[in-house]
Amino acid sequence: MFTNPFTPLAPFVSPAVLQGYIVLMALAVAIGTVFDLLHEKKLTFFMQERKRAKAAAKLQLSAADMAAIATRTLVHDVATFGEFCNRHRRISHVLMFYGFVLYLITTIVMVCIYPADTHTPVVLPILWNIGVLMTLVGGYWFFFFLRVNVVHDGQPPWRLVRADLFIVTLLASVTFALLLAVVEMAENSSATKVFASLYLFFTTLLFVSVPWSKFAHMFYKPVVAFQRRVEEADGSSDLPTPTTKGGERCPHSRT
Amino acid sequence: MPTFTYMTRCDGCGECVDICPSDIMHIDPVYRRSYNIEPNFCWECYSCVKACPQHAIDVRGYADFAPLGHSVRVLREEASGTISWKIRYRDGRVKEFTFPIRTTPWGSIKPPTEYAAPDANALNSQLLAHEPAALGVENLPTLPVLGKKEV
Repeated sequence: MFTNPFTPLAPFVSPAVLQGYIVLMALAVAIGTVFDLLHEKKLTFFMQERKRAKAAAKLQLSAADMAAIATRTLVHDVATFGEFCNRHRRISHVLMFYGFVLYLITTIVMVCIYPADTHTPVVLPILWNIGVLMTLVGGYWFFFFLRVNVVHDGQPPWRLVRADLFIVTLLASVTFALLLAVVEMAENSSATKVFASLYLFFTTLLFVSVPWSKFAHMFYKPVVAFQRRVEEADGSSDLPTPTTKGGERCPHSRT
Repeated sequence: MPTFTYMTRCDGCGECVDICPSDIMHIDPVYRRSYNIEPNFCWECYSCVKACPQHAIDVRGYADFAPLGHSVRVLREEASGTISWKIRYRDGRVKEFTFPIRTTPWGSIKPPTEYAAPDANALNSQLLAHEPAALGVENLPTLPVLGKKEV
């Protein structure tokens, strides 16, 4: 049941083309993020904030302090999305992030190492399917029930705005990946061609649209979380001093 | 002094959208973060500033004195039941104040939704809904019913 979903594509698209496609998409993400950083002046903003914080610092943090802060940021804010005060949003992001990473890594391994190999280790397609399902559960939950403009601004779920470009292309890409795997199992050649085309179209859109979508926010968030923790530690934060340790984080939230 | 949102701090939870009495805090269609759609209509109630769990909302001073470097920041800590203010004056002085938010524990007051809905006869009562129980007293004084002659 669990087979390499990219093997049946070999008659239509050569493995070398798929491998080249992965390299192109990786480049598109890198170039898109750099373009976003420079064109939207986000890099300038980050540097200005760092400069301001350095000037306002009351304590000089040692390398050990910075390492401890980096570890805390990695464990709390990046790995478990602890910056979210809303539990549902946090769980949906954890599902989407780890699901997408799992899906991405297994895709790269299957396309690059086992391109036309019918003896792909079964663990890879299993992990690929788990990644796909995690992304879809977290993604559709977020799309229909957690998007703030839908839940709090009262907009209908089908009214799409530019902020939805990332989630819509992600969901479309991963959904068509799953449908592609299903029609391949059914050995339906024409349906495989249709779903493979749709899958490639939305995957391309997902990675090429980085300068206009929210794709890059997954790279920015850890930087901001780290900077925020550094400001709290060196006294440069413009917020009042908390009366209790950790009391400033995530006060009661109804949402 | 209208509010504005630090986009890097905002996580788009929507608390400010819900609490804004002027309905001017909305969600940006490009970044899905909150923003003030009409700064002229902000009445500086600080509700969104205090409600924001990420402390992502600040208040912008007017152009004639904002460049002079003042700032007012708020930190609400429900765990300790305090609200703290950090005031940076234009001459560089910084003062911090901490006040209790309330004198009773969180959740100790019964909300209106937990009271039974009053029946239609209550419209003729001089008491408001859920009085006197909601006020924590047994009775409230009421006006005597006047006869026709007395009117």
